[in-house]
Amino acid sequence: MKKVSVSFTLNGDPVTAEVPVTWSLLKTLREYFELTGAKEGCGVGECGACTVIVDGDAVNACLYPVFEAEGKSVMTIEGIAGEDGTLHPIQTAFLENNGVQCGYCTSGMIMSAKALLDQNQGPMEDEIRTSIAGNFCRCTGYVQIVEAIEMAAREME
Amino acid sequence: MIDYDYKKPESLEEVFSLLKEYGPKATLIAGGTDVMVNIRNTKKAPEVLISLRGLKDLRYIKKNKGYHIGALTTHRMLELSELVKTELSALYDGASRIGSVQVRNVATIGGNICNAAPSADTAGPLLVLDAQVVLEGPKGRRNVPIAEFFTGTYKTVRKQGEVLVEFQIPAEMGHFGSAYWKHSRRKAMNLPILGIAVSLKLDDETITDARIGLTVAAPTPVRAYKAEEFLKGKQLTGDVLKEAGKIAASPECCSPRDSIRGEAWYRREIIEVYVARMAMLAAEKIKNR
Amino acid sequence: MSDHLFVGKSIPRTIEADKVTGKAVYIDDMKRPGMLYGKILYSKYAHATIKSIDTSKAKKLTGVRAILTGQDIPDVRVGFLRDQTVLKKDTVRQFRDEVAAVAAVTPEIAAEARDLIEVEYEELPAVFDPFEAMKEEAPLVHEVDARGRPVKNNILPLPWKFEAGDIEQGRKDSAYITTDNVSTTWVNQCCMGTSGCVAEFDNSNNLTLYNQTNVIFGHIGRITEYFSQIGLKGKKIRVVNAIVGGSFGTKLDTDIYEFISIQLALKTRKPVKILFDREEEFRALPPRQPAVFTIEQGCDKEGRLTFRKCEAILDNGAYTSWGATTPSVMIMPMSSLYRVPNVLYKATCVYTNNIYCQAMRGYGNPQATFAVETSMDTLAEKAGIDPAEFRMINRNRSGDETPMRLKITSCGFEECINSVKEKLNWDEKKGKQKGRGLGMASLIHVAGGARVTRSDGHGMMVKVDEYGHVDVIESGTDQGQGSPTVITQIVAESLGVRPEDVFLTFGDTALALWDAGTHASRHTFMAGNAAVRACAKAKHQILDMAVEHMPKIIKGGFKRKKRKDPDFVEPELDYGLIADPENLDIRDRMVFPKKDPDHPYFRIPVSQVLRQGLLGSGESKVVVAEAFYDPPTEMLDRELKGNLSKTYAFGTTGVEVEVDEQTGEVKILNLVAAHDVGKAMNPTLLLGQIYGAAYTGVGYGLTEEIKVVNGKVMNPGFRDYQMLTAMDVVPIEPVIVEPVDEDGPYGAKGVGEPGLVPTAPAIANAIYDAIGVRIRDLPITPEKVLAALKEKG
Repeated sequence: MKKVSVSFTLNGDPVTAEVPVTWSLLKTLREYFELTGAKEGCGVGECGACTVIVDGDAVNACLYPVFEAEGKSVMTIEGIAGEDGTLHPIQTAFLENNGVQCGYCTSGMIMSAKALLDQNQGPMEDEIRTSIAGNFCRCTGYVQIVEAIEMAAREME
Repeated sequence: MIDYDYKKPESLEEVFSLLKEYGPKATLIAGGTDVMVNIRNTKKAPEVLISLRGLKDLRYIKKNKGYHIGALTTHRMLELSELVKTELSALYDGASRIGSVQVRNVATIGGNICNAAPSADTAGPLLVLDAQVVLEGPKGRRNVPIAEFFTGTYKTVRKQGEVLVEFQIPAEMGHFGSAYWKHSRRKAMNLPILGIAVSLKLDDETITDARIGLTVAAPTPVRAYKAEEFLKGKQLTGDVLKEAGKIAASPECCSPRDSIRGEAWYRREIIEVYVARMAMLAAEKIKNR
Repeated sequence: MSDHLFVGKSIPRTIEADKVTGKAVYIDDMKRPGMLYGKILYSKYAHATIKSIDTSKAKKLTGVRAILTGQDIPDVRVGFLRDQTVLKKDTVRQFRDEVAAVAAVTPEIAAEARDLIEVEYEELPAVFDPFEAMKEEAPLVHEVDARGRPVKNNILPLPWKFEAGDIEQGRKDSAYITTDNVSTTWVNQCCMGTSGCVAEFDNSNNLTLYNQTNVIFGHIGRITEYFSQIGLKGKKIRVVNAIVGGSFGTKLDTDIYEFISIQLALKTRKPVKILFDREEEFRALPPRQPAVFTIEQGCDKEGRLTFRKCEAILDNGAYTSWGATTPSVMIMPMSSLYRVPNVLYKATCVYTNNIYCQAMRGYGNPQATFAVETSMDTLAEKAGIDPAEFRMINRNRSGDETPMRLKITSCGFEECINSVKEKLNWDEKKGKQKGRGLGMASLIHVAGGARVTRSDGHGMMVKVDEYGHVDVIESGTDQGQGSPTVITQIVAESLGVRPEDVFLTFGDTALALWDAGTHASRHTFMAGNAAVRACAKAKHQILDMAVEHMPKIIKGGFKRKKRKDPDFVEPELDYGLIADPENLDIRDRMVFPKKDPDHPYFRIPVSQVLRQGLLGSGESKVVVAEAFYDPPTEMLDRELKGNLSKTYAFGTTGVEVEVDEQTGEVKILNLVAAHDVGKAMNPTLLLGQIYGAAYTGVGYGLTEEIKVVNGKVMNPGFRDYQMLTAMDVVPIEPVIVEPVDEDGPYGAKGVGEPGLVPTAPAIANAIYDAIGVRIRDLPITPEKVLAALKEKG
C-alpha cells in the first residue's frame, strides 16, 4: 500500500496524517483522527452523510481523495461548537425544532447548512433546500430541518 | 486490493510529461466525482492518478470576444456566475442541476464532458451554444466542435496525451436565448431520464437560427439537426414548436432506449413536449433582456 | 389537565445533543478491541445448485482470519417458517443468498478475500412472478419444507382467510358494487444508517451482540433457539443497542448477517463486525412486501357499505421473514376501516426467486389501505355520492366493535375528515378544476400496542438517587422517533422533577425488563403507561420518605436558626399536614402538602428528602420502582379476530394535485394530514412524525420502487432509487385532532406509522379528480399517467 503524508488544518488545528494514498478524506477523518461524526451513508457521493467543509465549501468527504486535502482547511461537525461546548446556533436550532430524528444524516446536514449560512446570511427557502438537496433524510421529510436552518439564520444575523 | 499512486502537477507541461511517462497507466482526475466512484464500483484503479487540481489557472469564466470557460471550472462556479445565468442560460440550467451542492463544488465542466456519459448535463447546453472544445497536447492546441467531440458512450476524440483545457463559445451565442430541461422523477440527485437543450435567435417573432441538443436520447449527446432546420425562418408559434418537437423526437433525430430510468416511448414523448417548451423558454429569455 | 409542566409542551430534544455534535455512537462508529470485519459473498444466480466452493485463494490472503461456507457451520434452519439456513450449502434461491463469509483484520481485506472465493453453480429454472409461481408446472423454489417433507407447490402454508358476516347477503343488500384490481411494489426502507452489528463472545461463550434492533428481546429469543441447535444451549445472550440510524421496520427480525457475525465471532474468538454498504442495503435487506389485490365492495342506496371482499396475492420472495405475515396486519384495514358488516378477505403468499420481504412503516396497512381507499372512491362515484360524504357516512365511531372485534374507544375520525374538507376547500373545488384535483383517504391503525406475541408488555425501571437524578431503564429502543424526549417529559411530569434530572438508558437486555419491541406505533403508549406506573410507585416511596424525614428536616432547620438567632421562636405548625403520604405531592423538584402547596415551611426540595432517606437517621432506603404494563388486549383467535390493541388511531389525508397532461407529471400543491393522536405529548416532535411519514408516503405514491428484473435489484443506490430530496417540496399541513384517550398515558395514542398509510391512495384519488384517469398500480409514475391518458384518448 502506497502511503501519503498529508498536512492540513483540521477544525482549526494544523495536522498531518500518514495514510494509504487510496483513502478518502472521510476514511482519514474517521479512522486516523477518530472523528466519526461524518458518516459513510453510501460512499459514492449520493447521500451527503459524509459532508464536511473544505476551504469554505461543503463537499462529500467520501469522494474527496485524501491527497487533495494537502494545505486545505477542513472543518467537521466536531469543530463547530465553541471551545467550552457551547453549541453552534445551527446545532441548537436542530435540537429546538426537531431537525434531528435518528441523527445519522444530521452531521452532514448541519455542515451543508453551515457552508450555506457562512456564505449567505439571509437565505431564501429555496436556497436552503438547494443547499441540502444532496443530504438525504428518511425521518423528517425535511420540513423541520428547513425551519431549523431558517431559525439559525435569524439567530446568526 | 486497490492501490495507486498520485501526482499533483502544477503546470500543463508537467501534466504532459507525466502522461508521456505513464501512458495508459495514468488517469487524469479533476473533481474526482466520476473517477472515485468508478474505482469503487469497478474495484479497478489505474496505476497513477494525475490530479489536475493544481492547475489553478484553468478555473475561469471570461467574456473576451466570445466566452471562455476553463476546463477546471466547477459546476458551482457556473451556477453562481451572473454572466452564465443571463447570457448562457442553458449552461446555467445544466450546471445547476448536476448532483448536489457538494458535488458541484468539486466536479468540473471539463470532467463532465471528458467522462462522456450519454447523460452529461452540460453536454446538451454546450451543444446548443456551439461550444468548441480546446484540447492541448505537448505539440500545441487544437479546437474540436463539441458536436464532434463524442465518439461513443464514454468515448471522445481526446488523445491519451492531451488535456481538455477550455471551452470556447462564440460571441454571437450571447444573442441567442437558451434553456435546458433535465427531465427526472425527482428534483435533485438524479441522472436525467432525458436532457433537452434549445437555443434560438429571433428577429421579432421569426426564428432566424436554432440549435437543439438531446442527451440520453442516443449513445452520445446529439444535435437534432432536422428539427433545427425546420425551425429556421418560421414564426415562433405553438404549432411550429410542436412540429419541431415531433421531428426532434423522430428516429431521424434520436434513438432513445428502454432503461431502468425510463422507457423509449416515454423519452420520445418528453422530447416532443420539452423541445417546444424549452424553445418557448429560450425565446422568453431573449424577450426579457 | 392544562396545568402540566412538561407533558404537552414542545420540549427540545436537548437530551439527544450528541446527535448534533457528532458524538453519538452508531454501529458504524463502534470498535471493540481486536475487532475483525466480516463480509458476505452472495449468490450469482436467482436459482442454482452450488457445485463447489473453492476458498483456497482467499485463505492465502494476509489478514484473513476465517472463511466460512455452508459446509463449515451446523445446518440449522432459521426464519419465520424455518425455510433457510445461515449459509447456503446446496442450493441458492435468490440473488441475495449468503454463500460464504469472511472475517479479516480490515474491511478491505475481507472484501478482497470474499471476491477471491470461487463458486461453481449450475443454474436452475427460476420463477419471478407470483401468478406464474402458483401454476402447477412452475419450478419449485423449495423442494421440501422445514421438516424435510416434499412440498407440492410454491404457496406458503399460511392460509390467511378472514370472514365475518355473510358476503352473499351483503351483495343482495347492495344497490351499487364495484371491483378494482390494484397493486403495489417493493420499496426500500432507506434507513440512512445501514445494517450492521458486532458479535462478541466471552471466554465461556456467552454472547454480547452490539446491535441496532427495535426488538432487543426478540433477538434473545431467536438467538437462544439458534444456540440450542449449535451446541451453545444455556449460554447467556446480551443485546446492546448502539444509536440506531433509522429503522422503519428493518430491525424487527434477526437477519442472516447477524447469525453470520455470530458464527464468525465463534470461529475466530474475536469480536466481528458486519456493516452493510449501501448497495448491500438495497440488494440484501428485505424491503416492503409487494401485493396484488382484487377488491370488491358494495353499498346500499344511502351509501352505507354492505360488504367488502378482497383477495390478495403476495410475492413472498424465496424465504420468510416478517413479509409473510403482512397479511395479518392487512386484516385490520380490510375488516375495520369504515363500518362494513360483511367481510371476506383472503391472502396468499407465494414463494418466488425474488428478494424476500419484511416490515416497513405501517406493515401491510399502506398496501391494504391503497386497495380499500381506491375502492371507496370508485364505489362513491358509482353511487353518485361525494367521496368525502361517502367516507363520512361509513366512518368508524366511538363505541363500535368492528367485524374483527376491534373495540373503538376514542375516535377523532369525523373531525379528521371535516378538517381535510375545510382545509382543501373541498366543496368549492372538488371535481371542478381541469388538470387539478382533490382526493382523500383515511386510515385505522393500532395505537395502543399490538398483541402479536403472547405478551404485549413493556417493562420500565425508575431509580432515583440521593441528588434527585432519575435513571430510567427503558426496555424499548430509540430509532429516532423522539422517545428519549417524550419519556423524559412523562417521567418528569409523573415524578415531579425536571426534564434535565432524567437520564434514559435504552436497548440493553442486561438492564431492561422485557418488552415486545418498539414497533407498531406502540412505544409512547406502552412505555408511557409503564413510565406513569413506575413513577407512581417511585413517587410513593419518596413520599413515604418525606413523611418520615420532613418533620426532622424542618425541625433541624429551626434548631440551626435558633443557634444563629437566639430570639428565633419556632412556629407552631400542624405536622398533621405532612403526616400522610396521600396528602403530599411532588412537583418541579419540591415536596409539599397538597392542601397548602405554598406552605412557608412544608415546601422543601425533593433532593433533601432523598438524601435524608439514604443517609439520615433511621432506616437507610433507596428509591427504585418498576412497572410492567401489559394492556388487557387479545391475540387474534383462530378466526383471526380479537381486540389486539387497547386503542386505535384514525386519520385522513387530503391532497390537491396538478397533473401535466402532456408529460404525466404530478405535482402536489397541498397535502393536509389530519391525525387523531389522543393527546399531543410534544407537538413539535409529533409534527416530525407526521411530516416524515407523509413524505415517505408521497415517495410510495409517486416515485419509489425497487426495480427487480429476473430476481435482481437493478437500482441498488440512491441515484436510481427515487427517494425524495429536500428540493421535492411537498407543502404539508398537519392537523392534530385530540380526543384524549382514557387508556393512554396522559391521553396519548400511537402515531409513528399512520402518516404514511393513507398518503398514496389520497394522491391516486386526487389524480383521478384532476384528469379522470385512475392509476391502480404504485408508484404512480409519469409514464403510467401518460400511458393511461393516451389510452383514454
